[in-house]
Amino acid sequence: MERVLFLSGNEAIAHGALRAGAGFVCGYPGTPSTEIVETAATLDGLHAEWCINEKVAMETAVGASLAGVRSVVTMKHVGLNVAADPFMTLSLTGVNAGLVVVTADDPGMHSSQNEQDNRTYAKFAKVPLLEPADGQECYDFLAEAFALSEEFDTPVLLRTTTRLSHGRGRVVPRVPVEVEPRDYERDMTKYVMVPQHARQRNRLVLQRLQALRDRAEVTPLNVLEAGTVDFGIIAGGVAYTYSREAFPKAWFLKLSMSHPLPYGKVARLYQSVSRVAVVEELDPFLEEQVRALGLPVVGKEALPADGEFDQELVFNALEPYLSRRPPRRRRPVMPPAPRLSAPPAPAPGLPVRPPVLCPGCTHRSVYAVLRRRRLAALGDIGCYTLGALPPLLALDSCLCMGASVGMMAGFNAALGRKAAAAVIGDSTFFHSGVTPLIDAHYNESQGLVLVLDNRTTAMTGHQGHPGTGGRPDGSEGPAVDIETLCAGVGVRCTTVDANDYDALDAAIAGEAETPGLGVVVARAPCILMTRARPGVAVVDEERCNLCGLCLDLGCPALAPGDGAVTVTDQCTGCGLCIEVCRRGALSLAETKAEA
Amino acid sequence: MNGTTTVSLVGVGGQGILLAAAVLAETAMAEGLDVKASEVKGMAQRGGSVLSTVRFGARVWSPLSRHAEVVIATERLEGQRALGLLAAGGALVCATTRIEPGSVLRREETYPDDLVAQAAGRGLRLVLVDADGLAREAGTVRASNVVLLGAASRVLPFSPESWARGLAAAIPAKIREVNERAFALGREAAPAQEV
Repeated sequence: MERVLFLSGNEAIAHGALRAGAGFVCGYPGTPSTEIVETAATLDGLHAEWCINEKVAMETAVGASLAGVRSVVTMKHVGLNVAADPFMTLSLTGVNAGLVVVTADDPGMHSSQNEQDNRTYAKFAKVPLLEPADGQECYDFLAEAFALSEEFDTPVLLRTTTRLSHGRGRVVPRVPVEVEPRDYERDMTKYVMVPQHARQRNRLVLQRLQALRDRAEVTPLNVLEAGTVDFGIIAGGVAYTYSREAFPKAWFLKLSMSHPLPYGKVARLYQSVSRVAVVEELDPFLEEQVRALGLPVVGKEALPADGEFDQELVFNALEPYLSRRPPRRRRPVMPPAPRLSAPPAPAPGLPVRPPVLCPGCTHRSVYAVLRRRRLAALGDIGCYTLGALPPLLALDSCLCMGASVGMMAGFNAALGRKAAAAVIGDSTFFHSGVTPLIDAHYNESQGLVLVLDNRTTAMTGHQGHPGTGGRPDGSEGPAVDIETLCAGVGVRCTTVDANDYDALDAAIAGEAETPGLGVVVARAPCILMTRARPGVAVVDEERCNLCGLCLDLGCPALAPGDGAVTVTDQCTGCGLCIEVCRRGALSLAETKAEA
Repeated sequence: MNGTTTVSLVGVGGQGILLAAAVLAETAMAEGLDVKASEVKGMAQRGGSVLSTVRFGARVWSPLSRHAEVVIATERLEGQRALGLLAAGGALVCATTRIEPGSVLRREETYPDDLVAQAAGRGLRLVLVDADGLAREAGTVRASNVVLLGAASRVLPFSPESWARGLAAAIPAKIREVNERAFALGREAAPAQEV
């Protein structure tokens, strides 16, 4: 066995990640979290990256997890606000390889602009929360967190506080965890969070929360420690260490997995003692839950709701309560498990009608190329997310606005090759696709970013954005040019007409085979704005053999007829089916424009 | 419920359900009634099933209902899908328009052809309107939603003056005339098209 180490909590987390079989650690610096990534960068076997911000870091780690590598993403408490968008929906998608989100809170605001208590994020996102109390637990809990993450298919929030992150102590190294590599398997109902998939995942999240609560009851992470006086303390994290030193004879419910709260263990503490205090820095997170069980407890009326604690503060605050008459014993009122809504029942026997890309949609050509080139495509949020649905089935993920690019960088970094492309619309690119592009350039990520530029924010009803200059009052502001922007970043960028299938195919195929990072802008205005109808497709029934290449485009204007494809009156004459047909069976006929 | 009338408008995203709902709501307000309307926008708009609900009465509380007195459908399959909203005696004003969803185009599912029997079996009034044809006659197929409103005006308790005010309030001036023609054609055709 290696010699005993003397590490800060942050260093212990990095060492613990390596020991737990992690391969990827990223984050954005923020006191008191910074040294985790810095330490990881010194350890053989860990790939460490600084990301441009916490949101991109979260998405990058998600990409690495998706690719099958255990990953850690680190940030300070306020950083999780920046990363909240991917974090909240990550709870729904779950993970592939384990994913641990480290939030470093700062009670006392030694180096922060606010004092928010990020335990609330675990409750908000319905994910398990681990709170180590010392350096050894920082080290050990990484393995616990990865195991929970993979068993329950969830990100795990691991919360430290300043004293833990920057405090130092003995850490005994453990035998490394053997981790089987996980292959990535495309699973749209799990990773593409369009409403019909997300509704199903949300039910699983609620069921998962119940299963995690059952686990919290039996896990050795939550221990009832016997004392010799009629006084019990519920605490986790560094507050446990203060309490233990202040009241060595008390009973303790030490909560290292503090969300979801194990009600049964709380009840058992109350069977052993008549006086109970909750010792927690910042919010009455545990106290409110204990009170909701109908149990008498000493909490924030004695201990401050702001600032840091220490053992003297805890002792002085709680000591007076030991001589008071104990409160009348009460039986806890256990909260019932919440019920789920009835699953939607479709009208029996009727065909479903999910939303689809419009006939003539200028995004369809991109999906035709992606399918032809068999590229994994990490998607984003907009009309083009519909490319994930049958029959196109051309997207691998949809997490949150702007997630595609960071996820692509993490996915490709974890696999060490240009394995996935990002697919992002023009408005979404400006929303939050630019920062991960800069990040990918800075981290020398492999990748192909496809910007589906239909010159509008189409899905919400054709609003303007910085790429078009359009404003809500109809006036035009200065427009940002994507090519110039990419040039400024230093990323090569090719623009093609999205209606020119061959040029698009050549550009995407070329970029997919070129090492490094590149952007392809597929540009053509939304069909609903132009209402372009240059003609209609007509079928040569002699040549058509119903091979299905055009039908695979998922165009509402094409249907398999008897012996040949038929074109419905929804055809806009965009010509994409003509391009993909290998038998020359389709051509464009002029038509008089309809009134 | 509680003296409130519910009209559900159903169809395929892009068929003008939201505009039709706006006209209906304005018409009810012109009658001096309280009105609540609700619909889902966004992703559902793109070629998927859409549902808009308009409720009116002396005082309307909830914006939603699982039951409707009248359903206006701009597409036949969507009209059939909405049959469950109606109780016996309710009315379905439905376009003959047939828009096949992808699963039907790909022959994975079949388009139903038993709407008339289904409606009769439930004891409903069914008004089947060639909305597209009448809209073309009015000047543009895109006015088929308003053709259906014209047909529905025969089963809804509003005066012609209120409908005129509703159309004027909800429809942009440059397309108002064609829509007024569409409304009139639908209203004229409805009695003969009740099945």
